[in-house]
Amino acid sequence: MSSKRTDILQAATVAEQSDDPLLVHGGLSFHDITDLVSYHTEKKTPVAWLGAFALANIGLLTLVACIAYLFWNGVGVWGLNNPVGWGYAIVNFVFWVGIGHAGTLISAILFLFRQKWRTGINRSAEAMTIFAVICALVFPGIHVGRVWAAYWMLPIPNQMQMWPQFKSPLLWDVFAVSVYFTVSLVFWYIGLIPDLASLRDRAKTSLRQKVLGFFSMGWTGANRHWRHYEKAYLLLAALATPLVLSVHSVVSFDFAVSVVPGWHTTIFPPYFVAGAIFSGFAMVVTLLVIARRIYGIEDIITVDHLEKMNMIILLTGTMVGFAYITEFFIAWYSGVQYEQYAFKNRAFGPYAWAYWTMMSCNLIFPQFFWVKKLRRSVPFMFVMSIFVNIGMWFERFVITVTSLHRDYLPSSWDYYTPTMIDVLTLIGSFGLFFTLFLLFLRFLPMVAMAEVKGVMPEADPHFYGHGDGQAHAHPPTLSPTVD
Amino acid sequence: MIELPILDESRQSTVRQSNQGASQQKLWRSVSELRDAESLQELARLEFAPGAMDAPTESSRRTFLQLMGASMALAGLAGCRKPYEKILPYARHPEEIIEGVPMYYATAMPFRGSLLGVLVESHEGRPTKIEGNPQHPVSQGATGVFEQASVLDLYDPDRSKTVMEQGGQTTWEAFGAAVAALPASTRLAVLCEETSSPTILGMRSALAARFAQTRWVTYSGLGDNTELAGYASAFGRGVRPLYRFSQASVVVSFDADFLASTDRNFVSNTREFAASRSTENATMSRLYAVEGMYSTTGGMSDHRLRVRPSEVASVAAAVAAGVGAIPPRGGDGFASNPMVRAIVEELNGAGSRGVVLAGENQPQVVHELCAAINSRLGAIGTTVDLVDVSGTTTASDADFRRLVSDMKGGAVDVLLMVGVNPVYDAPGGFDFGGALGSVGTTIHIGTHRDETAAASTWHLPRTHYLESWGDGRAYDGTLSVIQPLIAPLYPDCRSEIEILNLIATGEQASGYDLVRRQWSGVLSGDFEAAWRRTLHDGFVPGSGFQSVSGRASAPSTQVPAASTGLEIQIRPDTRLLDGSFANNAWLQETPDLVTKIVWDNVAVMNHATAEALGVSNTLTNGQYHVDEVELTFDGRKVLIPAWILPGVADNTIVLTLGSGRTLLSDRAERKPIFFDTDAKTDVYGDGPIANGVGQRVAHLRSTSSSRILSGVTAARSGATNYPIATTQDHGAMDTPDIREVIARREPVRIAPLAKYKAHEAHFQEPPLAGATEPWESYPALWEERHPTKSDAYRDSPYFQNQWAMTIDLNLCTGCNACMLACQSENNIQVVGKDQVNRGRELHWIRIDRYFMTEHGEGDIDDAKMVVQPIPCQHCENAPCESVCPVAATVHSPDGTNQMIYNRCIGTRYCANNCPYKVRRFNFYNWTKTLPMSVQFAQNPNVTVRSRGVMEKCSYCIQRIRKANKQSNVENRPIREGDVKTACQQACAASAITFGDLNDPTSAISRKKQSDRRYELLAELSVKPRTSYLGRITNPNPALETEA
Repeated sequence: MSSKRTDILQAATVAEQSDDPLLVHGGLSFHDITDLVSYHTEKKTPVAWLGAFALANIGLLTLVACIAYLFWNGVGVWGLNNPVGWGYAIVNFVFWVGIGHAGTLISAILFLFRQKWRTGINRSAEAMTIFAVICALVFPGIHVGRVWAAYWMLPIPNQMQMWPQFKSPLLWDVFAVSVYFTVSLVFWYIGLIPDLASLRDRAKTSLRQKVLGFFSMGWTGANRHWRHYEKAYLLLAALATPLVLSVHSVVSFDFAVSVVPGWHTTIFPPYFVAGAIFSGFAMVVTLLVIARRIYGIEDIITVDHLEKMNMIILLTGTMVGFAYITEFFIAWYSGVQYEQYAFKNRAFGPYAWAYWTMMSCNLIFPQFFWVKKLRRSVPFMFVMSIFVNIGMWFERFVITVTSLHRDYLPSSWDYYTPTMIDVLTLIGSFGLFFTLFLLFLRFLPMVAMAEVKGVMPEADPHFYGHGDGQAHAHPPTLSPTVD
Repeated sequence: MIELPILDESRQSTVRQSNQGASQQKLWRSVSELRDAESLQELARLEFAPGAMDAPTESSRRTFLQLMGASMALAGLAGCRKPYEKILPYARHPEEIIEGVPMYYATAMPFRGSLLGVLVESHEGRPTKIEGNPQHPVSQGATGVFEQASVLDLYDPDRSKTVMEQGGQTTWEAFGAAVAALPASTRLAVLCEETSSPTILGMRSALAARFAQTRWVTYSGLGDNTELAGYASAFGRGVRPLYRFSQASVVVSFDADFLASTDRNFVSNTREFAASRSTENATMSRLYAVEGMYSTTGGMSDHRLRVRPSEVASVAAAVAAGVGAIPPRGGDGFASNPMVRAIVEELNGAGSRGVVLAGENQPQVVHELCAAINSRLGAIGTTVDLVDVSGTTTASDADFRRLVSDMKGGAVDVLLMVGVNPVYDAPGGFDFGGALGSVGTTIHIGTHRDETAAASTWHLPRTHYLESWGDGRAYDGTLSVIQPLIAPLYPDCRSEIEILNLIATGEQASGYDLVRRQWSGVLSGDFEAAWRRTLHDGFVPGSGFQSVSGRASAPSTQVPAASTGLEIQIRPDTRLLDGSFANNAWLQETPDLVTKIVWDNVAVMNHATAEALGVSNTLTNGQYHVDEVELTFDGRKVLIPAWILPGVADNTIVLTLGSGRTLLSDRAERKPIFFDTDAKTDVYGDGPIANGVGQRVAHLRSTSSSRILSGVTAARSGATNYPIATTQDHGAMDTPDIREVIARREPVRIAPLAKYKAHEAHFQEPPLAGATEPWESYPALWEERHPTKSDAYRDSPYFQNQWAMTIDLNLCTGCNACMLACQSENNIQVVGKDQVNRGRELHWIRIDRYFMTEHGEGDIDDAKMVVQPIPCQHCENAPCESVCPVAATVHSPDGTNQMIYNRCIGTRYCANNCPYKVRRFNFYNWTKTLPMSVQFAQNPNVTVRSRGVMEKCSYCIQRIRKANKQSNVENRPIREGDVKTACQQACAASAITFGDLNDPTSAISRKKQSDRRYELLAELSVKPRTSYLGRITNPNPALETEA
């Protein structure tokens, strides 16, 4: 056994003796981590992956077929009607945009707050963000009546000298979501560069070398590279941080700016952001609980990581629940009969089933996470994260549909029932998501190797010195260090 | 660019030679090379060597690629093009026509035996819109639903197009020969629709001259005219009452729905009644309605007595006895009913200013009682104008009965049916279908190959009234000539006058000559001038029936006792009438006045009856699924969906005629590809519109005069989930929750007259306090953001007019005429039952119907029915405009909210954000599947909307711009009355006022200052340009205190 290995074991022993647990378990060395993560992109394609990929592709093809059917016939193939002009498409859009938030929160905000535990999960969370935003972006494009003119929402100079109408929140959405997507993608890609270079250096075929060589942009790991890289990463994190808050605030404006009772609510921006983080973390838990098991990276994405995420789910779920109750209070307190009826109708009207699904999944179920044992139980959190995903989809459904189906004039009230095409499109969007996520798992390092190494005890400049012993006393831990 | 095959012989030979040279080479490197060369030579000897078919060219690969590239480029270019449509100018310009400027012609529409004076808009020879003839004494410019919809009948793709004999196509020559061969001794029977045409009456004598044994029977699918029969019996001569409600202070309706479009004199009744309800009058009339199910009239009433239809006669008798028109009678207890006592008291007090009338669904004796009451009150001459109609024909039950028995007895050789469809609509008691088989030759003249056409020997295609010459009398007797707007769309169609003439004389004379010949005896003085004048005006002034006076005798027949047990009343349908309008898609999709049901007919009953029968309506997922009931009367059965509605009398079921048609059409069936939804969305796709809609109920009747069937058995049967499409979700208004919401939101504001006169009625008080807006500060937004201050509008003169609308709920009866007028004017498409059920109907103006009870409580059967037309409110602060991402809905400088169809991308955000939910979305391409003939009915001045765009009421912007152009040409400002919206123009009650707010003298400016004005949802601060004028009721204080 090399001396390095001994040092790691020492460090692990020290960490186990202190209150703060180590981020990486199992006594993995830098090389072990590289091996563990890179291996999955280099090995022969496993049959299980092919099976999963085929399944996801069926979903994707369903989505493509549904969209083709929609384009050929018109929006009438969905269940929309006169009072309910927005249905599954907008619900799915808001749902997917919300899912995306966890990645950016983990990679940007937690980075700025020096939450070192983020390193184990940020790569996959960011990938999830990008894929979720891609899924979301499908919907505004296809939900319009005349898809061939959808690009009129973009400010493209044209012979008509017509600009989009800047007062419309839908236009703000266009900007907010496209900026968010661009920044997320760039941020993710920058973070990938050192790891892509590692893969390049390990590549055994010339094609792999060339492709990875191109995408790793000549990274050599030089000091200057690292300096520029870290500066760029910090700047992008700073840039992405306000976007976490702004995107879902802007998405919430689609509703909040209108006059529809149940939509016209000032609490929407913070409530939507909290809900987005809530749903995003739930999705990260869902994905990682499976991925860490299958890919054997349980020592990198540990139960400690998952517990931290569950704490955030508990926090944001309670915030969302608080917002639900606040809405009711404000409806009563405002004295506006339309508001009052809208909320009464939500809880006890024809869509009460959707409302109580949302309430139980989002507010009630996450309360189990107060119990530490449940919070650390992998099967329990998996089930819970699915519930939260369902609940958050229903939240958007409740907001969109129940508000529209009964607004001001009772003569116009109606009911919205989705068609088979609506349902298949939703399922198909998961197909798109999983197709992209499976490609990511297969071809890219699913853990930010360089960053994980950076938070290991060996990364401390004083680790090997035994000089003042500082490194031993304070190995990098889950909680921020005091100094 | 493309290399051509080498055609140069000499060059071709050198190519061949060089090839030969190569093969003759003796040098080789290996054995295989040598052998291969040999095998090539072997191949060359074959006649068709590989490649021998190819063109001899040096560069076939390049050519191939070039051709591919070019064809792809061309295909791509062609793909970018819209399909070619040829627009041809007139080769020879017709006189008087200016392209794009419509012409208007006065003509008249036959309706239930009378003519309705109409003015028809024609674009380049194509009639597109029917308006009332403003100069006609009855119409005065207004119309009902049937006039508006009749233009679509002209373009009906299922119209009969050819002469048929025994179901096979034949020619007029064959028919002419067959008729010419008939001997003079032929026993001919003519079963004719109700008509007032002097020319047809002339044909009658011509027929009698040709066939000595001709009999003429007038028939109507709705049965005989009980009102006419009752008045004839009471006054001893043929008289017709014309009601002058404007003179009345008390109106009592005994099941008379005189405010519905089905009434023969609908327009006049509505105008007269509206005049009596004006709050500007010193007094306002009071309307009592005695009826078994809510009707338009019942909705307008101040007091409504809910009784079973068979009890109406007893109520009428009690009233008649109360006013002394008949001797006092005891028994049925209605004399002591507080409402009846109040009616009697009021009628006695009103004297000649009172009027009572009975409905066509009541037996003759009720009309006799009404005649006696009116006569007793002295109302004849004041509120009832009695006119002499002796000499006119009317449908007669007795004649029809005799004809049928003669047919069965073989006493009829040839039966000629003119415009009637007795196989479908004759009462079941007659067994007309069976009798038809006993007649040797049956000839049917009709616009469709209907049930009777299918059962007849001959079917002759008839023209639409817009294609033919004709004549007749309006309800008040005014004579009109029907002049065609267009040559028959199908050259084989002939008018009934031409056909009758052919049968009578064997001559193929034109309708024009026949009518002129007849009218040479009608018009006096210079015939040519008088004829031209009649055609121009559309009527002969002063040609109405003579007013007469007289005293009515007491009814000869005994008043029938009210039946016990379940009873059925059969009414004409408010949209399909007797079924003659059933193939009209506009009318099928018009919601019923009360039930708001489209594309169906139902058995209407109240909760108590439904409970007793064990039937229910279930509203699940926004769609009604109802139980069916089997109704049996006299052995005849109908299986029909049950519909529960408040306000129906107990143990009473109301049915409507006109559904359950079976038409034949030769239109090809639509066969789209599997992934295309056209099959489901094309209302014209599954053959004739009328087929498969609703149930036939006409045969349930014993005789045509029996509209009330007692001794009926009913049982739940058949399906329990029959889907019913309504345009109003809350339908029966069942839950107390929703009743409370309606009561709190007060979309329709009502105040009693006394409170209003005392200035205690506050219509403007919206549900939210603090949003009251006095008139003086009303157009504040417009002043603030004056168009002259905006770059976009600075140079537009249009801001000089500020358009606005008021809808007077005190006058609106909810008759649907505005809806149809809008549909015709603005090319509104029909979406079909399934799509209405999905909430996708496209009407730009809808009539909301609410039932109201005091504070949302009380017995819902005693609820008040109110209506409210809702078009786009044209908010100054429009919520739809700010949310559109592409600026497809914007404000015009003249204050209207405009929809720019070709800019709209269909996000539907505007519709979500519209508090009135007046925006309509094109979920599919409704115009793609329109049959070619229906496309002719479209107004060329209004864009036909594509799939995926939003649409809504535009305040008839095309009419506004037309007036703008005209005033620009004449260099003058727009004058009051230059612009009339389609809904306003059709409204007989003049409930809709439209005009320029900038003109302080305009009617709209005056209406906006009314103290009854309120804006719907004013508390949202959207500042609608459309205001409502609150409804005033005039309840009897005596009844109020008792209640």
